[in-house]
Amino acid sequence: MPQPPRTRAVRSIAVLALVGGLLLPAAAPAAAADPLILRVGTDQKLETLNPWHSVTVADYEIFQLQYDLLVSFGQNLEPSPGFADTWESSDDALTHTFHIRDGMKWSDGEPATCEDARWTYQFVLDVVASETGYVGSGYLEPYLTNTGAKTVTCTDASTLVVETEFPTTLLTQAYIPILPKHIWSQYTQEQIGDAEADGFFVNEPPVVGSGPYVAVEWEPGQFIRMARNENYWGKAGAADEVIFQTFAGSDTMVQALKAGAVDYIRGISADLWDALEGEPDIATVEGFSNGYSYLSWNTKGNSEGYNGSTSALTDVAFRDALGYALDLDKLVDATLAGHGVAGDSQVPPYHAKWYVQPAERRTFDLAEADRRLTAAGYTRNAAGNRVDKDGKEINLRLTWPDSEEEMATNAQFIQGWFAELGITVDAYVTEEGKLLSDLVGPGLDGTADWDFYMWGWVGDPDPMSLLSFFTSFQIDNLNDSFYANARYDELFELQQRATDEAQRHALIQEMQEIFYRDSPYHVLYYDNVLDAYRTDKFVGWINQPPEGGTPIFGYGYPGYLALIDAASVTPEPTAAPTEAPTASEGAATPAPSADGGPASGGDNTTILLLAAVVAIVTIVVVGLLMARRRSAAPTEDE
Amino acid sequence: MGLQYVLRRVATAIFTIVLIVLLNFLLFRAMPGSPERILLGRMPGVTPQILQETRERWGLDKPLVPDQLVRYVASTLQGDLGFSYSARGRPVTDVLAQRLGPTLLLFGLGEAFAIVMGLVLGAYSGWKRGGVVDYVGNGVSLILYSTPYFLLGMGLLLVFATGLGWFPTFGMSTAGATYAGPVDRLVDYGSHLVLPLATVALGLIGQYAILMRSSVIETLGEDYVTTARAMGFRDTRVLRHHALPNAMLPTVTLVAINLGYVVAGAITVEVVFNWPGLGTLTVDALSSRDYPVLQGVFLLLSVAVVFANLAADLIYGVLDPRVRT
Amino acid sequence: MTAPAVPAGAGGVVVARRQPGLLRQILRRPDGLAGAAILLVFTVLAVIPDILTGPLQTAITATGPRLAPPSVEFPLGTDELGRSMLNLTVHATRISMVIGLLATLVTVLIGAVLGIVSGYVGGRFDALVMRIADFFLVIPTFVLAIILTAIIRDVLGTGSREIFGIRLSLITIVVVIGITSWSSTARIIRSQTLSLKERAFVDRARVVGAGAGHIMRRHILPNVTNLIVANAVLTFAGAILTETTLSFVGLGDPFQPSWGQLLDAARTVGAPGLGAWWYFMPAGVGIVLVVFAFTLLGSALDAILNPKLQSRR
Repeated sequence: MPQPPRTRAVRSIAVLALVGGLLLPAAAPAAAADPLILRVGTDQKLETLNPWHSVTVADYEIFQLQYDLLVSFGQNLEPSPGFADTWESSDDALTHTFHIRDGMKWSDGEPATCEDARWTYQFVLDVVASETGYVGSGYLEPYLTNTGAKTVTCTDASTLVVETEFPTTLLTQAYIPILPKHIWSQYTQEQIGDAEADGFFVNEPPVVGSGPYVAVEWEPGQFIRMARNENYWGKAGAADEVIFQTFAGSDTMVQALKAGAVDYIRGISADLWDALEGEPDIATVEGFSNGYSYLSWNTKGNSEGYNGSTSALTDVAFRDALGYALDLDKLVDATLAGHGVAGDSQVPPYHAKWYVQPAERRTFDLAEADRRLTAAGYTRNAAGNRVDKDGKEINLRLTWPDSEEEMATNAQFIQGWFAELGITVDAYVTEEGKLLSDLVGPGLDGTADWDFYMWGWVGDPDPMSLLSFFTSFQIDNLNDSFYANARYDELFELQQRATDEAQRHALIQEMQEIFYRDSPYHVLYYDNVLDAYRTDKFVGWINQPPEGGTPIFGYGYPGYLALIDAASVTPEPTAAPTEAPTASEGAATPAPSADGGPASGGDNTTILLLAAVVAIVTIVVVGLLMARRRSAAPTEDE
Repeated sequence: MGLQYVLRRVATAIFTIVLIVLLNFLLFRAMPGSPERILLGRMPGVTPQILQETRERWGLDKPLVPDQLVRYVASTLQGDLGFSYSARGRPVTDVLAQRLGPTLLLFGLGEAFAIVMGLVLGAYSGWKRGGVVDYVGNGVSLILYSTPYFLLGMGLLLVFATGLGWFPTFGMSTAGATYAGPVDRLVDYGSHLVLPLATVALGLIGQYAILMRSSVIETLGEDYVTTARAMGFRDTRVLRHHALPNAMLPTVTLVAINLGYVVAGAITVEVVFNWPGLGTLTVDALSSRDYPVLQGVFLLLSVAVVFANLAADLIYGVLDPRVRT
Repeated sequence: MTAPAVPAGAGGVVVARRQPGLLRQILRRPDGLAGAAILLVFTVLAVIPDILTGPLQTAITATGPRLAPPSVEFPLGTDELGRSMLNLTVHATRISMVIGLLATLVTVLIGAVLGIVSGYVGGRFDALVMRIADFFLVIPTFVLAIILTAIIRDVLGTGSREIFGIRLSLITIVVVIGITSWSSTARIIRSQTLSLKERAFVDRARVVGAGAGHIMRRHILPNVTNLIVANAVLTFAGAILTETTLSFVGLGDPFQPSWGQLLDAARTVGAPGLGAWWYFMPAGVGIVLVVFAFTLLGSALDAILNPKLQSRR
């Protein structure tokens, strides 16, 4: 399953301090027996250590560092050893055997065996079969249910056998952390899954896990400190500790990176990221997005129970024509400062293996849009306004959640383009909670009172979830456009069971074609992820995947283990990076521009600001002085 | 002071708190988006049955009045403010408790600084009316008074943190820091505190200065003071015995009246400095639609301000014999 | 009891008639003159933004480069969409000033009506109104404003319909400011009304048989007009600050940027860290100057209307 739009909610508005950077010497108090710490900055809140409640990218990053997946992901996103060392499937792809590493231990010293994996998977199956049907506020269960898993057994302490209802290759993609049974089985399903239950299992540090790092300290919402798991089965990472810290906004995060207060920052806003180019000892990385921002149509229009403003919404030809009125490259330039790719398929190009560009891509051409609208029967009336087939003027309502501020820019453009076609767009932001209610259709007692809206999705290593949003089974759930197409549904089930990659590719290609043709969504763009990291404390940063990936915040944890202590490779070891510019003068780094570079922008600002403050104060004081002098006369009159 | 006076004040405070609780109940029932949908906002696989169960569990299927109201008042009285949506699994009271300390620290110290410095500045400029300090002080006081807290904070940040690099720019301490000793810890916390504290103090100082200044000027105009001065009493004595006590009453009132306003300042100052207090909590709760937390913040702040006002009234009663009845 | 609402026009007419005298008095005072001069400049900006800088630029009509520093073509630089900051800031002046003005009108209208009626009528009505006023004086209104904004936006709707050239989403802010800040006006007007009520001319009117509505309109209102004006000046400053702060925490409308919205946008883009001072300085200076001007005017009015204070100096 994806981390639905709500993920981004957490990412985006949060709040922000304007400027940042820990520049004080006291900021690096670790002086004595310095542990080597990898400090990671994110603008997402660190609100949970219980993986069933993971929602944000940061939440996922935390749990996958401390818990192994049954099968993990390698540098190229290929299946690689996780909790299981090796695995194989029967020829009919119905029986799947996983060999659990012998002698593996949890971080508290208890043996980690097949039983732990079995317990975890069985827990998910039980939860799904239960009355509640889900656990926690996260989205992990479908990773297992999508595979058709039926039974989970341990034939011995190191052999896990999973049987599935239908042939599948997706078990190696199951994004489910294997949990220590001796800890978790003490709690009921409700205590694990319901954050408001009595005795809810918060999973307070120190966390018992099998991954390379486990949480040892947690200030909810603010930071999580993780220490190396001495019992980790693989090669130990160079960093003794990893600290994840929440920042209020890009600006503070960037300042902290420049000052050396953090080593890696995730999700920087475009202009700040651009400005980092050429900073000494800082590398920037632009990751392809495994997700997209979209324009979703209420494809049920104003049919019974739905409250779209026009019947035209239900017409594929109408939606197709409007696709020609969207200059997606312009949106990428303006909204993303060029850091993204114009959208088409529901499977982002990130999935190089599955993405297929539509054969006939719509281009921005208002004349063509106009021609197609007219051809489809949507003509202009005397006032120049487009009318639908009921003879009603088409006035569309466009909205987006308040958590996605940048959508307002897209809306300004769309409003302008559609106006050229004689379609008035009423654009406004909607409070996220209200939008969630408004979107709901009659199947869930909702009114579907909307025309088209913008939001975004984030996907998994497998395109499964991204494909599922357009199946009719997901209507009243994650299929917010109410799109239903029998062929698409059929293809979805076929690809789910396809064990031959070429065959699955063909199925997924057809799904992409149908999606693009019918346009329940217009995918606006695939927004790139902008990260940056310091190269003077750690080296060995490698992207996952090498093309278009980022060093960390990927899938699994190979990026953390690949890091090397920079001091161990630099001929002349530099002192611990206590301070920024001044310290680096004396360091081995040949960066004479170090002190001029990072500060110049700030200096400029500072001077101007000081000047302005002085100016204002002067004006006031002079004004008051003059005032006093003049006021002397009238006062005496009275 | 008279018992009647005290009782009347306490009764008013209780009445206000009752109103706050009622308002809180109504406001959050009126929030956009259906409550059960917001409760389930992050959950996939929501079915009509789940919606119904949620409604029942939260008593949302019952009429607003009296069932839901009774339920709300009862749990509020027991100190049960529900659970935070975004801080999964943590009661609102826990979340509030975690954030209360930093806010009290910042604004307690800020008020204290502002009062002391404001009174001193005001007394001096009133005493030397027409002097350089008076002009400059007056001008600066007015400018500061006209500046939103967050602008002031942004200015200080830009100059002293980003520009000069004297102070850290965010948070209350260095995350995950290990301290060699208590002094180290204090230095770290202290350096984080300087700029937000300065912002709060500067934002408040002007009002106290203006107040003290006019009190001093007023006192100096009184006949008995003129007489006293004519009789050769030292100026400082006049200041201490007449002007200062005269200014105390309105200052106490101002502190109380200001509290509500200070809360608004608190929110933005904390936001600008990423200070982990109730202000950032409010804005975070707003942006993540964490209504239970928002509700809790409103309740906590309102009740705190009511109590502060009550305290101010009572102190006022002690200070000023005329209101003792 | 009858509680005839004072028509908005009535107060306005009286104010207009009295203004020359009061205005001259204000202008004779240095602080009043300075405040009026600053306000005049901003009022001009607010009234004719189109003539000064052309229509409000949108993402589509923007012509400049991304986040360019000030130049001859763009005297205040550009934002991240290439819009001229001069254009945006001048138009934002209009939005901020209009919201401030409307919010002040709403606040003062509620405050004055409740103050006069409650003071004149007295009794249980008075007690109730004053309890509620006290309540609003005490509670942290900003948090309430944040919550109310969400609710009222839901009630009013958020579409692009406009009232007085202001989008509904911002009209919400006007209403919120009105609801949360009428109480101090009401209290002040009420106490003035209480003292007027005991004066001889009111008694005379009552003896002659004038109704309560008539007395309040013809005898009380004209005598509290000055007070209303003085109060409105301070309310205006407060309204601008509240609007700015609400926009800064993300409750503004990017389709109609106010000063606070510009500051919020600058923060979102990371303008301070980019050294893009031209993005936030103009709006920041605008806010401080306007609030400062109102504060000066307020103190001038205070001195004029409270001659006691004046003579004691």
